[in-house]
Amino acid sequence: MMLRNRFICLILALTLTSLTGCSQGPVTWRRVTLNQTISTEDVIFIVPGKTDISAVVERLGAPNDILSSKNEIVTRYYFTDGKYFKANYGWGFRFLIPVFAPDLDLGGGGIGRDVFQVTYDDHWLVRDHAFAFHSRSSEFLAWPFRD
Amino acid sequence: MKSIILGMLILNLLINTGCAFIRGNYGEELGQGDIATIQKGISTRADVAAVLGAPDRIIEASGREIFHYFHYDVKSGSVFIFSRTNIKSDDIFVIFNEAGVVEELVSGKRKGPLEFQFWPFDWPFH
Repeated sequence: MMLRNRFICLILALTLTSLTGCSQGPVTWRRVTLNQTISTEDVIFIVPGKTDISAVVERLGAPNDILSSKNEIVTRYYFTDGKYFKANYGWGFRFLIPVFAPDLDLGGGGIGRDVFQVTYDDHWLVRDHAFAFHSRSSEFLAWPFRD
Repeated sequence: MKSIILGMLILNLLINTGCAFIRGNYGEELGQGDIATIQKGISTRADVAAVLGAPDRIIEASGREIFHYFHYDVKSGSVFIFSRTNIKSDDIFVIFNEAGVVEELVSGKRKGPLEFQFWPFDWPFH
């Protein structure tokens, strides 16, 4: 009976001390993405001087931004990728010191953005197009103190 | 007694393994029916504003005025220690010529539907 009571007390203590509230558990992986990637295969139909804006929009959708550049119009498609990792190395202390369990969060992340840019002339024909890949700069970081 | 212990263990698991699915949006979704009423070479700035409302942004590009409307849709999922938030934007650009008449209408959905996901990694699916 004594052993059972101790076992119940242990479960109760585990339950109460491991309640996470607003914070997450001992480790957390989070990711946020804005829109979807456009690959080089998706844009092979574009022929500079022949393809117009209607054809591009029909296949790729509307761009995220339109910019002015001298006598041409630039449209841009964005794909943003953000990654974040956090580990609470003090999480286990709550089982040893229920009254005061200090948090020790280490982690990090990053945000990268791919851009696909299409430039049009005055007749809305594609003048040129280009990619910029930066989404790989987002990564889950376990150790924030590296150079 | 065994059932109490088992019940407490299950309760412990339920309390500590939460999940959440949340949805949100920014801006009003513009109907394709409204957009279809805008005609190139005919509709004016006032016509566009009457149908779509005031634009979220006005851009000046190569002597043209551009009305920019946008809408964001967000789906977020959290399961255990994993969380993923997907955001999708829908943009509409109405481009006017110097006379203030619609020259071009740039509108179209981006590829793929917005999904609820919680798995934050590319692997093993890619």
